[in-house]
Amino acid sequence: MQLSFRGTQRLYRFLTAAVLVFAGIFALFPLVWTGLTSLKQNTDVITAEMQYLPHNPTLENYFELWSRKSFVTLFGNSVVITFMTVSLCLLVGTLAAYAFSRYRFTGRNAALVGFLLIRMFPMVLMLIPLFIIMRNLQLLNTRVGLALAYTTFLLPIATWMLKGFFDAIPPDLEDAARIDGATRAGAIVRVVLPLAAPGVAATAVLTAIAAWNEFLFALMFTTNEASQTWPVGLHLLVGEEFNLPWGLLSAGGMISIAPIIVFFVLAQKSLVRGLMQGAVKG
Amino acid sequence: MTATSVEERRSGLALLRSYWPAWLDVFGWVGRISETRYWAWLMLLPGFLLISVVIFYPVISGVWLSLHEYNLLRPARGQPFVGLQQFIDLLEDERFWLSLRNTAYFGVFNVLNPFTLGLVIALALKRAVRGAGLVRTLILMPWFMPSVVAGHMWALLLDSRLGVINDILVKLGLLESYWPWFARTETAMPAILLVGLWRGFPFFALLLLAGLQSISQEMYEAAAVDGANALSRFRHITIPLLLPVIVVAITLRTIAVVNSPDLMIILTGGGPGLATHVLSFYAFQTAYAAFDFGYAAALSVVMLGILIFFTLIYLRVAGVNRD
Repeated sequence: MQLSFRGTQRLYRFLTAAVLVFAGIFALFPLVWTGLTSLKQNTDVITAEMQYLPHNPTLENYFELWSRKSFVTLFGNSVVITFMTVSLCLLVGTLAAYAFSRYRFTGRNAALVGFLLIRMFPMVLMLIPLFIIMRNLQLLNTRVGLALAYTTFLLPIATWMLKGFFDAIPPDLEDAARIDGATRAGAIVRVVLPLAAPGVAATAVLTAIAAWNEFLFALMFTTNEASQTWPVGLHLLVGEEFNLPWGLLSAGGMISIAPIIVFFVLAQKSLVRGLMQGAVKG
Repeated sequence: MTATSVEERRSGLALLRSYWPAWLDVFGWVGRISETRYWAWLMLLPGFLLISVVIFYPVISGVWLSLHEYNLLRPARGQPFVGLQQFIDLLEDERFWLSLRNTAYFGVFNVLNPFTLGLVIALALKRAVRGAGLVRTLILMPWFMPSVVAGHMWALLLDSRLGVINDILVKLGLLESYWPWFARTETAMPAILLVGLWRGFPFFALLLLAGLQSISQEMYEAAAVDGANALSRFRHITIPLLLPVIVVAITLRTIAVVNSPDLMIILTGGGPGLATHVLSFYAFQTAYAAFDFGYAAALSVVMLGILIFFTLIYLRVAGVNRD
């Protein structure tokens, strides 16, 4: 049977809506469930009859987490390490990305491809030599050590993303500033960076999220609670207790994704643009 | 005098600068250097130094290490050179072969499943119905979750006693009683693949959507005038034009998936038995728990070989794309 044109259109519209609704539910259901669990008392998590909505919603999981001594340390470590990683990637990445974007030099393409190829190196392969290097330099169990380790995989991505944003700014604007007497460095600071600000912000957000989330390096390069990061602390919380403290774990999960959601909402537009750009070109 | 310098004179920075000795005038120095032909190289220098120290040196010394025996728990033995001995050991290591097979299984499905779902969603998102923008943003959340939190979420959802998915399936009559998904050999890998699908599909949806949006609408209109139906438009326009993006996305994801033992560390510890024992997990475990750095390096070098193969495909296609 042949569907009429309008029938086909309606069918498509229905299918589109169905797919989008499914996608939204699939993506968000685990988050919502974790949020609900974080508001339940432990006795309401372990019940014979499943409680979908918390009967006695409470914030006690959050308070208990906060009162644990290790929590503040772990959270603080993560914040400091994330901040250091972002600063390092943005500073070094901006310089390199500008050079890649504006200059044509021998080996430019090879270097650009090289930056991309770095993604392919197994993290485990770098893990071992990095561990040895850090042990020799006394960088194990330090925040600087972890920030440097995160730079391994984040600097190339940050550079590529920034280069994309710089490419989009017409060189004429810089030239105009330089005719007015600004040096090249002055033109970068006064013209290029302000224009590329949304892109730089998006790159910062992406780098921050990746550093905040990192797990493997943090697990390998830290051995004591004083230097561990938040994801490692959450992971080890599971190892310690036989009956899993689900309420506590869920509260921990919610706390660790709160900054991500905030950043994400703030930089959403240029973040998506930057990701798409890097994806199609890269 | 130019407009910039008038503006500068007013700013506090300029006032401060006027009291500095000339040789301390960093801004001036940088400005002058930036006019020379060394500037491009100077800008690249920090990046290259950093990458050499944190990437190239570790990778090279990792390959070097794979030719040496090096066990942190046996410091007395030192680091004797053993040539390819550890690679020969690999060939006889049953656990290695099993991990290789699991890696292939995990790699293929943990890429194809999210790709398929991502493509369907990208096609739906492209139709730009009301609310599509919101959905596009919301579905990115799983991609940006910490793997530890994502792991815990799914461990709770699929828990053998408290899992809400078990509860729903039982209530729907699809399951007789709660099932310990991660604890059974036959469902551990599929359960991990479900988590992988959840974490992976936003990446594909976003990339493929970008690819779809770069296809000119006129192509479709011309084809529609020629009487091509939706299916043949999809086959003859969408797929061929999207192919470079598809290959790039699949390659990047394959590299990421093969590289990352996170889900196994968090959810199953490679078990039950060796059901989810993949290469990346084996290498990590050999280094982290057994401290056998030499053997772990040999395992990683094998992974590097596999990944180089994928990268070559990637470069070929990305190169073709550029022409």
